[in-house]
Amino acid sequence: MDMFAQILSSGIAVGMIYAVIAFGFQLTFATSGTLNFGQGEALMLGALVGLTCVETFGMNYWLMLPIVCLFGMVQGGFVELIGVRPAIKIKSEFGWIMSTIALGIIFKNFAENIWGRDALPFPSPLPMEPMAFLGANILPMEILVVVGALVMMLLVEFFNRKTIYGKAVVATANDRDAAGLMGINTSLVITFSYALSSLTAAFAGVLIAPLTLTGAAMGGALGLKAFAVAIIGGLSSGMGIIVGGLILGIVETATGFYISTGYKDVPGLILLLLVLMYKPSGLFGKSAIKKV
Amino acid sequence: MNIRHHIFAVAAIAMLSTGAYAADIKFGVAGPFTGGSASMGVSMRDGVRLAAKEINAAGGVNGNKIVLVERDDEAKNERGVQIAQELINNEKVVATLGYINTGVALASQRFYQEAKIPVMNNVATGTLITKQFPNAAENYVFRNGAADNIQAPMIAKEAVEKRGLKRVAILADSTNYGQLGREDLEKALKVYGVTPVATEKFNLGDVDMTSQLLKAKNAGADVILTYAIGPELAQIANGMAKLGWKKPMIGSWTLSMASFIDTAGKNGNGATMPETFIQSPATTPKRKVFVDNYLKEFKPKNGIIPSPVSAAQGYDSVYLLAAAIKQANSTEGPKILAALQDLKTPVDGVVMTYNKPFSATDHEAIKAKDVVMGVVENGRVEFLNAEDATAKKK
Repeated sequence: MDMFAQILSSGIAVGMIYAVIAFGFQLTFATSGTLNFGQGEALMLGALVGLTCVETFGMNYWLMLPIVCLFGMVQGGFVELIGVRPAIKIKSEFGWIMSTIALGIIFKNFAENIWGRDALPFPSPLPMEPMAFLGANILPMEILVVVGALVMMLLVEFFNRKTIYGKAVVATANDRDAAGLMGINTSLVITFSYALSSLTAAFAGVLIAPLTLTGAAMGGALGLKAFAVAIIGGLSSGMGIIVGGLILGIVETATGFYISTGYKDVPGLILLLLVLMYKPSGLFGKSAIKKV
Repeated sequence: MNIRHHIFAVAAIAMLSTGAYAADIKFGVAGPFTGGSASMGVSMRDGVRLAAKEINAAGGVNGNKIVLVERDDEAKNERGVQIAQELINNEKVVATLGYINTGVALASQRFYQEAKIPVMNNVATGTLITKQFPNAAENYVFRNGAADNIQAPMIAKEAVEKRGLKRVAILADSTNYGQLGREDLEKALKVYGVTPVATEKFNLGDVDMTSQLLKAKNAGADVILTYAIGPELAQIANGMAKLGWKKPMIGSWTLSMASFIDTAGKNGNGATMPETFIQSPATTPKRKVFVDNYLKEFKPKNGIIPSPVSAAQGYDSVYLLAAAIKQANSTEGPKILAALQDLKTPVDGVVMTYNKPFSATDHEAIKAKDVVMGVVENGRVEFLNAEDATAKKK
């Protein structure tokens, strides 16, 4: 039982790391039908900027958070303006895919030249002593990741449902043309959704960095796993993202323990294939009918 | 015939044969200067630079200056292959030093073998490296590092014989390095009749080692033997601390990497590994001078060489090659090879003094007796056995 509790808790921690990155995919998909494939790189940049604030400028971890969030917004807005807007303007179906991937690679190169390609330790704001909880050992930092991710998602949901600006976002997400006719500046809303998605990624970066090590290469693998989570959970459902992340995290950890650590990544990706085959909109996604 | 032609011909021959015509000797230097193995690659490169600078300042090799052509292979096999071809075909190097990663070495050195250009592996430890071409008439691959079939028995001996820990778990990464090392470890353990109770695997960049460690714990392991590199080793040490399950970590020399020691912090204390070189205390005057010069020249963080073993072996590899070229009085591959296999004068290096280090059948400079055990203590590597710290004093 202790074993199971331990596997579950570690799986949840890993799963929430995936989910919080996947959340960013969902934000831009909702408003513009596009994805930022540089989401992993946005996370990496956030973590490295945070590291510079903490290490070089000796800033407190909590003080650094708003700076990193601000940086994420600027970075996301930049991606939208440079990479996505031109593609949307010419109604190019796939231009944004290439441009967001390209920008991601450019960001990675910049990061490599500024911070080097070493994996760097990120100082933890909380003690690294584990706590016993229901027979499992949990790091305070893991709890912070879960809580931080949930709080962030709730804040974004709250913003979307309760504020007038959020309603503009929801309106754009539902029907961009109609929202435009109602006087909503939809292209600004889309830029904003990109800024918000990069903000969440940058925040996720500094949140998980004390657990994972920081470095220019950290975005690649995590971004890919998060994308799988977004597909499994469904790109249109916030709930789905969390459940998808938890499923992938727990399945990975459990496979490693009960089957073989050599096959840790396999079941999660088989699940991804199954979802794509039988429910392409994701486990919790609403299926949209597209007329051609 | 015109007398002027004679004079010109004689003068030209005289210039070439007396060495008055100085040419640059190009050495390729290949290793990961960025990425997860960078602390080893950069230290190796800096050791090489230091040695080349010293040799050039002392007049070079037979009057010729050593020129280094450095390339970052990023620890990627395909980059290594590209670089090998570039160094051979475009840069026309006379020999190449380097390789940190066993996989990159195995992928790249066949090009040197075909081009008859010697490769001096100064860090990569895979046992197969110097035995990759068993059917070739001549083997152009040399090494001055502690091969895995030296390290693995030392690790097994430390765990089973010295500490009496018979329930071992092996944690190795999924790269060539980790998996070849795991095989060597299993072979070494068999000598003691020990079969690992758990053998687990992980990928580079894995963020959570819980399932691997839980399996080892469940199997009742009382020691963790590792074959991996710094960042993932740190995840193992930190993961053990998280589970509140503290068992000794004994593993390959990569446990001395800065990326392990810095990232694991106090969780890394007690990690034990075979080492050819430990920064301090300096056991020979030569070692002391080397460390002082390194610190002065490259100013590493906290006055600690990121990977002292790589730096020392990188430094020695240049002297070994230079000695061979001096003896061969030529930069042609086959002649360097012949000289390396039969070095007449001992080479005074920092790891040790190399007295006939290579032969036609043995391309390994470092033998088991040249390796000691080191242990991580408070952010630095110390000698595990006090007698090693003094025994090497001359």
